[in-house]
Amino acid sequence: MKLWAIIPELILVVLCLALVPLAGWLRGRWRQTTGAIALIGLAACMAMTARMLGWAPFTAFDGVYALDPFAAVFKLLIELAAFITVILLMTHFRGQTQATHAPVAVLFATLGAVALVSSNDLVAIVLFIQMMSMAGYVLVSLERTSRRANEAALKYFIYAAVALAVMAYGLSFLYGLTGSLDLRAIGAALHGADQLWVEVALALILAGYGFEVTMAPFHVWAPDVFAGASAPVAGFLSVAPKIAAMAALLRFLLVAFPDRMVGWPWWIAGGAVVSMTLGNLVALRQTRLKRLLAYSTIAQSGYVLAAVAVAGRTPEAVPAAAYYLAAYLFMNLGAFAVAAQLERAVGSDRFEALRGLGRRAPWTAALLTLFLLSLAGIPPLAGFMGKVLVLLRVIDGGMLWLAIIAAINMAIALYYYVHVIAQLYLHPPKHDFVLPQRVGWSAGYALCVAGTLGLGIFPWHFVALADLARHWLE
Amino acid sequence: MLTVTIFLPLLFAAIVLALPSRNAAAIRWTALIGACVTLAAALTLVAGFDDANAGLQWRMTTAWIPPINASYDVAVTGISLPLIVLAALMLALAMLYVLRDHDRAKGHACLFLLMATGLMGVFASQDLLLFYLFFEIALVPLYFVIGLWGHENRRYAAMKFFLYTRAGSLAMLLAFLGLYLAMAPHTFSLPAIAAAQPLAGHATAGGLVLLGLLIGFGVKLPTVPIHNWLPDAHVEAPTEGSVFLAALHLKLGAYGLIAVLLPTIAAAARQWWIALVVLGLVSLVYGAFAALGQRDFKRLVAYTSINHMGYVMLAAGIGAVASDPAVRALALTGAVFQMVSHGLLTGAMFFIAGTLQDQAGTRELTAFGGLGQRAPLFAALLAVAAFGSLGLPGLSGFIAEFQVIGATLSVNLWAALAVILGLIVATGLYLRVVLIVLMRPATSDALHEPAPRRLAVVGVLVALSALIGIAPGLLESVIAATTLTP
Repeated sequence: MKLWAIIPELILVVLCLALVPLAGWLRGRWRQTTGAIALIGLAACMAMTARMLGWAPFTAFDGVYALDPFAAVFKLLIELAAFITVILLMTHFRGQTQATHAPVAVLFATLGAVALVSSNDLVAIVLFIQMMSMAGYVLVSLERTSRRANEAALKYFIYAAVALAVMAYGLSFLYGLTGSLDLRAIGAALHGADQLWVEVALALILAGYGFEVTMAPFHVWAPDVFAGASAPVAGFLSVAPKIAAMAALLRFLLVAFPDRMVGWPWWIAGGAVVSMTLGNLVALRQTRLKRLLAYSTIAQSGYVLAAVAVAGRTPEAVPAAAYYLAAYLFMNLGAFAVAAQLERAVGSDRFEALRGLGRRAPWTAALLTLFLLSLAGIPPLAGFMGKVLVLLRVIDGGMLWLAIIAAINMAIALYYYVHVIAQLYLHPPKHDFVLPQRVGWSAGYALCVAGTLGLGIFPWHFVALADLARHWLE
Repeated sequence: MLTVTIFLPLLFAAIVLALPSRNAAAIRWTALIGACVTLAAALTLVAGFDDANAGLQWRMTTAWIPPINASYDVAVTGISLPLIVLAALMLALAMLYVLRDHDRAKGHACLFLLMATGLMGVFASQDLLLFYLFFEIALVPLYFVIGLWGHENRRYAAMKFFLYTRAGSLAMLLAFLGLYLAMAPHTFSLPAIAAAQPLAGHATAGGLVLLGLLIGFGVKLPTVPIHNWLPDAHVEAPTEGSVFLAALHLKLGAYGLIAVLLPTIAAAARQWWIALVVLGLVSLVYGAFAALGQRDFKRLVAYTSINHMGYVMLAAGIGAVASDPAVRALALTGAVFQMVSHGLLTGAMFFIAGTLQDQAGTRELTAFGGLGQRAPLFAALLAVAAFGSLGLPGLSGFIAEFQVIGATLSVNLWAALAVILGLIVATGLYLRVVLIVLMRPATSDALHEPAPRRLAVVGVLVALSALIGIAPGLLESVIAATTLTP
């Protein structure tokens, strides 16, 4: 047993087990304790994961669990997303009972997500993807008194149950065709299998991955869930599970379906096109910030999927996807953080509530502008470099048409991002409100801004870091 | 020094940001000082420029993103140096023009300073990714300038401007990525791509890259049929915004055509030269006719920009096909001369139009009748700017258009005749403006001689146009340093 290699996971397990009973005991001003402990634990996880970046790839638990730089890069992103989310949740639910429980649920989701990235085995994939989603249901329903939140949680639960069951069914086909649960063994044996059944299996499996990464047509849950959940939770659910599932999808496709078997790049490319186009077109008509961001996340997934589609041909597409997801982490969490703060102050996330924010709260408005411009891909922000790398690899991978469609989509997307910015600055205010200033918001914003600007202006460190994601077990 | 020049406005923007927003006068003066310092820095670049050196001067290179071989690489050439000086000059004049304007001065000054950094960065970039970066940095502030300080229909115009330009720049980005991937080893370096001509043997790839670049630069230029955003943006923008748009933003497209498109994909440009020439001629003639029909003064000047920038597109087509290096040099020198001349004269026209609008409360051309009696000095400046724009000898517009027509004539007679048609219409429309403004009796008593500060702003521009019109060698020698080399 190589326990020392899974220290980040062990830290998370210990925290989860210890904090669940503890959370029941905490009262009054001690409520923030779980959050503080979670932050310390996540920081330790990040430190340990960062140390593993340079290690040579190997497997633990008889090949079930792959530990390679690829996994480490994505794990680091997931842990960072969890870290920022815990800060935001502690601030958002300050003084309420949820402040105690929310960080624990985030830890459970993080554990599932982190383990999913390393899973090299069908059973492990099913197990951890379920674990990740299960914590998601809890997170969505945190706002217990809100009808919309409860409805969202129920929707999330039902969709997830169906999608993941379909996926498990598809995975069972693979086992039936090859007699193995190990992705590498499947990859070796699948060439001899009946291609029709392989295609059926892949279609079923993509329902599950598609659900997690909000790939159209499996995205339908996302807008309702993200709009119903409290904003920091929506931010987390649009980032961490997506990063984990993208990484898992990459590993699954590249290892179990080598040599672009059954033309999977075309399947993914098709999903990418539909996701980005649909997400963008529907986003154009939104009038609420959270719903708009929800559709924008679907479109953003489309761009990452475009990189996944060419990963079989150009290995550099993997770091491009990692870079894009890192940029997406910061800018998307940042945008949702602003939405959270507004929601608390105004009680609404309608566009009218945003009007005049540029005068009332110039800093908050400037931050939201920064995140939205980054999502739109304006330099010198993180989203710009992410889009450049993705487009570059997509063209390099021989899918020029996909790059052109993505570029057209990026041009369309600018409209709705700028439409929000216009609300902030170009319209007179409609509501009277004071934005609460708390250390937690500032800390959350500071991290997101640092990432958005840092990845955009000084991209080379992270480009080099993301490059490590090319090294993995084959 | 070049890097210092580029980032000086940004530094002053940071200083302005730190000032209290209540103290508008201090903000305005700081911005003006920043602009003047930038102009001084740009002039030192001129002082250190070697006319005999055709290569890159004032070059500075450092690694930026080593994994994908993108670098911070800036330099000036005979083409970019006049434009950098023009940008610094326009910044100083715009800041002088709005010196007493205290409406949200802080944001206003910061956006203009940021925009100047982006514009000068584009002109100096020798790396395509850096070029793209500065290109968009210049774009975003103008959205806010139009949207926040513009006239009645500003939100619509700002959004339209942003969407058009962004769509164009994404097409340009794809073309850049295509060039990058065609190079072995992959690089974004403009001089390296120009030297290697990676797409010389690939007609399809070359054509696609050409199309991407044409869309990107064509939107900015703008060329018919993707010019539609320009009249709205110009009309709705505040005066200083219109000036920046006309004098500098359009030059991003023009500069891109001459300094990026032609050198990197010479073969494709030669293959499709006729398309460039046709686009140029259509813009040239269409812009003139459309301007002729306008009653709104700002809209009229906006359409003349399409006409004037048509010369640059035409010159690019002629420069692409001309086998004789002398003809090529004539076309390209004329194009760059036109960029500078148009920057000075149309900048002056928009300052004039804005001042008149402030006074009369309308942009209707007929409302400006009688200006000759009420404000003779100002009307005289208007007349000189108009004559310069229609290409009267002795002013800069003549030198520019004369060279482009000369080069066109040696390649294709019919194209030259079409240019003459555009020229005649343009002459007519400027004469109409001059007649209305100078000869008609006054219709309102709102018009008066503007503040000396604003007169000086227009005066400087008109005087500079006359200077390079009378002594074109001053500018030609700098431009020719680059355009004379094949």
